[in-house]
Amino acid sequence: MSRSIVLALALILALGLAVFWVLSTPRPLTVADIPQHTPNLANGEVLYHAGGCISCHQPSPDLAGIENTVPAGGAPLHTPVGTLYPMNLTPDPETGIGKWTDLQFLNAVQRGISPEGENLIPALPYTSYAHMKPEDVLDIRAYLASLPPVKSPEREPDITALPLVRRGVGLWKWVGLDTTPWTPDPSQSESWNRGSYLVNGPGHCQECHTPRNIFMARNASKAFAGGPHPEGKGRVPSLLGLIERGRYTDAADLASALANGEALGYDKLASGGMGQVQRNISQLPEGDIQAIADYIASLK
Amino acid sequence: MVSKTVMGLLAAGVLSLGLSSAAMADAKASIEAREACMKANGAMMKVMVPVIKGQNAYDKAANDAAIAAVEAACGGWANWWGEDTKPGGAVKTEAKLEIWSDPKGFEAAGGAYMAALSAVKASADEASFKAAFPALGKSCQGCHEKFRQAD
Repeated sequence: MSRSIVLALALILALGLAVFWVLSTPRPLTVADIPQHTPNLANGEVLYHAGGCISCHQPSPDLAGIENTVPAGGAPLHTPVGTLYPMNLTPDPETGIGKWTDLQFLNAVQRGISPEGENLIPALPYTSYAHMKPEDVLDIRAYLASLPPVKSPEREPDITALPLVRRGVGLWKWVGLDTTPWTPDPSQSESWNRGSYLVNGPGHCQECHTPRNIFMARNASKAFAGGPHPEGKGRVPSLLGLIERGRYTDAADLASALANGEALGYDKLASGGMGQVQRNISQLPEGDIQAIADYIASLK
Repeated sequence: MVSKTVMGLLAAGVLSLGLSSAAMADAKASIEAREACMKANGAMMKVMVPVIKGQNAYDKAANDAAIAAVEAACGGWANWWGEDTKPGGAVKTEAKLEIWSDPKGFEAAGGAYMAALSAVKASADEASFKAAFPALGKSCQGCHEKFRQAD
């Protein structure tokens, strides 16, 4: 009797493990998903700044003589699950992404899957980048390929039981990764739609400004409502009703805030990592900054 | 005998309560002074930024008054960073622990601000004010980015 219970339990456990294994297996894009596209470097540069790549892929302090605007990676990024060392995005063939194929790049950025087929920790906001046009992602790749290569070896994250965590991320993707492409709202202006795309795709604003549910997935019903800071300290402000609440006089004022930050007296735009975000946004063409402001100002 | 011990303990308790509440009052006063200084800086920005944006006319007297208010509110700055004013526990402050873990960085950020403020204060006309202001604005940003907590 007790032996059959043990057997049954073992069977249930084995079945559970098998289900976990299947459900946590990465589901990558395939060659058929790569669009026919001639890369546009200028567009890639704009979206590189909109994506804020440099904020996490900063050069490690150990790399002597590398400007902090070069995404050579390796600087520690502290997260609640452990310390990550975001990788070298320069085209160095050995330590950077010089040897990556377009498909590998698309899978890393839009599906959170490494060239080795492992799930990437979602500190890389592929949950937002997944909504981008693949053509735009390839343009970012072309821009990165145009940068001077830097030797900056990859470093594994300091995370306990990393292989298991990566498998867990695969499971989490069922609730946390929505791969629906961004679509325009025909009832809104062209600028609003451009802003919506920049904010929800490359800009990944919701990764911090939208609170998470118990599964650590973004709570869509509270989009942009603010919440606890993902790095664990302080709070991220709500982006809802910024004009109505008197934080900014109008969308033009908000655009000026995004372009100039605290340097023009717009308070609370420097702390909690927003200083880096604002610096990245300030690199965008004026029309794109206004578009972001038009969209954000419309959030209620 | 027993009552003597109890009395002694009580006395010690009252004394230490008194001491810690005195320290807490000091910490509270320091934090309030820091906040008042920051508010004066905010008020100064509200005077200067509209001139930079071209919304208000240049007004040297208004600038001077705003700078004087900042100097009055911020005079005790160096004395307001006691260990008991660190964030955590009952202490509510937007100051980050980095202020205490990186005192050199904090001093450098303050130094950049002081230098920029002096330059703005010394500017005698609109052109020199507009040339001096950006460094002042950037110094707010530079310090807040590292040393001020998000909300």
